[in-house]
Amino acid sequence: MMFHTLPFILGFLPVCLAGYFALGRFGGPVWALRWLVASSLLFYAWWRPEHLPLLLGSVALNHTIAGKIQNSDRPYVWLTAGVTLNLLVLGWFKYADFLLHIAAPATPSLTIVLPLAISFFTFQQIMFLVDTGRAREPNGFQRPGVGGPRVTTVPLLHYAAFVTFFPHLIAGPIVRPSHILPQLIAPDLTCPSVRNLADGLLLFLSGLGKKLVLADMFGGFADIGFDAAAHGATLTFFEAWYATLSYALQIYFDFSGYSDMAIGLARMFNVRFPLNFDSPYQATDIAAFWRRWHITLGAFLREYVYIPLGGNRAGETRKMVNLMATMLLVGLWHGAAWNFVIWGGLHGLFLTIHAQYRRWLPPMHAGLAQTITLLAVIFAWVPFRAASLSSATSILFGMAGCNGITLPRMIVSAFPPLAGIADPVAVMPFLGDARTLSFPEVSACLLLGWLIVLTLPNIHRMTGRARRWTLTGSFAFSVQALFFAPHVAPFLYFQF
Amino acid sequence: MGRILLACVVSLCLYIVAFAWVLDRPLTLGALRDRIDASLRLGQSIQQPKLVILAGSNGPYSHRCETIEPRVGRPCINAGAAVGVGLDYLFARWKPLLHPGDIVYLPMEEAQYVRLRATTELGPDAAIMLRHDRTTLSLLPLRRQIAALFACGPRDAIMSLIEVSLDANGFHDPRTMATGGTNLWGDHIGHTALLAGFNRASLLAITPYHPTGAQIAAGYGTLLIGDFIQWAGLHGVRVIGGLSTGFADSPIGDTGLDAIRAIYRGNTTGFLELANHSRYPRTAFFDTQDHLNEDGQISHSILVAEGLNQLTDRTPAPSR
Repeated sequence: MMFHTLPFILGFLPVCLAGYFALGRFGGPVWALRWLVASSLLFYAWWRPEHLPLLLGSVALNHTIAGKIQNSDRPYVWLTAGVTLNLLVLGWFKYADFLLHIAAPATPSLTIVLPLAISFFTFQQIMFLVDTGRAREPNGFQRPGVGGPRVTTVPLLHYAAFVTFFPHLIAGPIVRPSHILPQLIAPDLTCPSVRNLADGLLLFLSGLGKKLVLADMFGGFADIGFDAAAHGATLTFFEAWYATLSYALQIYFDFSGYSDMAIGLARMFNVRFPLNFDSPYQATDIAAFWRRWHITLGAFLREYVYIPLGGNRAGETRKMVNLMATMLLVGLWHGAAWNFVIWGGLHGLFLTIHAQYRRWLPPMHAGLAQTITLLAVIFAWVPFRAASLSSATSILFGMAGCNGITLPRMIVSAFPPLAGIADPVAVMPFLGDARTLSFPEVSACLLLGWLIVLTLPNIHRMTGRARRWTLTGSFAFSVQALFFAPHVAPFLYFQF
Repeated sequence: MGRILLACVVSLCLYIVAFAWVLDRPLTLGALRDRIDASLRLGQSIQQPKLVILAGSNGPYSHRCETIEPRVGRPCINAGAAVGVGLDYLFARWKPLLHPGDIVYLPMEEAQYVRLRATTELGPDAAIMLRHDRTTLSLLPLRRQIAALFACGPRDAIMSLIEVSLDANGFHDPRTMATGGTNLWGDHIGHTALLAGFNRASLLAITPYHPTGAQIAAGYGTLLIGDFIQWAGLHGVRVIGGLSTGFADSPIGDTGLDAIRAIYRGNTTGFLELANHSRYPRTAFFDTQDHLNEDGQISHSILVAEGLNQLTDRTPAPSR
């Protein structure tokens, strides 16, 4: 079940909310949590019920191992076993085919179906195990600002609610146990709050608009160019740039829209999720970009991979190696394919260059820094989105102008000097709907999209009035797309 | 919570006002509307039994009433528009102009049989009806009316601004020079083999999609055509089905063909099946498999006229 579908919005959500608060009032918080876990499992099983035992087994096993870590004399043996087991399961489902093809390219595919959300619930539970292990350290594990009870005292019901809570189960945000578990045992958890319901609804509708109105529109433009390149077509300068710029907007609006919806849904249940996107395309350097894009994944990798590897405490060379290793892992986390590895590697390279620049050279002008950062991010989206390395190369060739520059005859006629740089054509076949007016149409849409992401504050930083104006601008279009669009694209991050 | 609900209501009101009364697309939808209205005016002006060709763009590009009319001995109107225009809309507009003795020839594109109901309801005709033709809209089912109310997205709003400003500045579509124009019968003309040469590479690359027989039988377009055939039978109008043009190297599957034939199997209907199943080599086409070039269009029309004469008891009527 997806957040932006009618069965979820008109069926699952109202029933789940009503049952949660009714049971909380008449049966107590435990019954409300039982209802929430059951609802979340139904939500998960809606797509492929055969993967439900995997999720249930994973929850039960990790809870048991966490108990062993807490009570055993050799906690780190259990911790290592737990983390290894989680990684093995993830590795089997997500990376077995990829690794097999590296080792033996001629071997037939294992055709393993990737269970929904496995990357997210695996990371979530590794985090829980590691935090449990750290809590056994002599100095404890209470970091500044991360309060709450020790995670290992959590009963199975609360742990299951933490892992399976449907707003974050499928595609994050990746929430820290110490952030969520205290909220799940709070006495007022199941008391209906009009304020939280209203705030949550507003965030949910805002995310719905981002997804249905903006992401799907730009996705349509991006698909035309990238699909053409995948089929061997040669994209000219504007076709290649417009496809890439469209994809950069699609993935931003898609995932930040999903995150807003998740945060809004959790808020309706009186649970606060951390921010996951903070206008990342407004970042003035690549490190800042990663502090603003998929914030919870970045925080997880910093806390549980980069710092344990030595972070920046072991000299410059080691720091660069750690950065690169972490970013390659980020790439692999998105999918078992070389294009994701290249994307991660590019970001590792960007971060390394940025670290060295900061070390040796004076700060750059903010506008120039933002432009360079944005271009680097957009450049890296090409291999991320392309169907193959050859189509990525083809798109990049097009962006470099190696396949020529064409413009609609209409534009060239209106601005004759353009004839000096562009060949006039009737239509551009891989741009929009390949109509005479597709070029101005896609140009105007891209201008609107980039103005939104580069100049406006995100929904979390808006005033209440601005949020309502945003809703006024988007709600009717969301209704249009939700009820009347013949096809609604799934969230991009569902595949990760 | 009240403010959120207010924002939602205001949003819906603004949307409806904008698309029903303010925003318009004079170039794209305007041209389509002009084309549909021109053929309807022509139909209105003819009092004797006539032949009306209804289809997508396969109608005007691959059929030539100018050629067919003298051969079938009755006035011919090429009223095909575009594959995206809803069949229910086309039928609703043509029904008042059809009289006993008229023949409606339907060389529908395969895609029209299987077009989803949701896609049909959001076609360009929805925006045309909402903005300019609410009389026809009021004749259609309530669901269609509500869908028309919500047929436009942000792209339509953006395109509206672009088209209105281009129209105000006297924009002239350069594609007219590249593809030709329309004659008095509603036929597309000037899409010569010479101009088709520019599309040779893309024509070679096209891989046509053929729906299965089951898809055609269950299609929403099939349902609409079935309803129209029923109406025509009650009103003395004869419906003759036909095949859209296509590439000889990509024939319609047997099950698909059977499903199309089955639609027109009735006492008051007929099905025109040329020996070549309306298949031609790719060199006979203009830019897609539904659009023959002008030479191909004329040759195909001669065959269609002969086929129609064989299927009908020819009752000559004076040609215009």
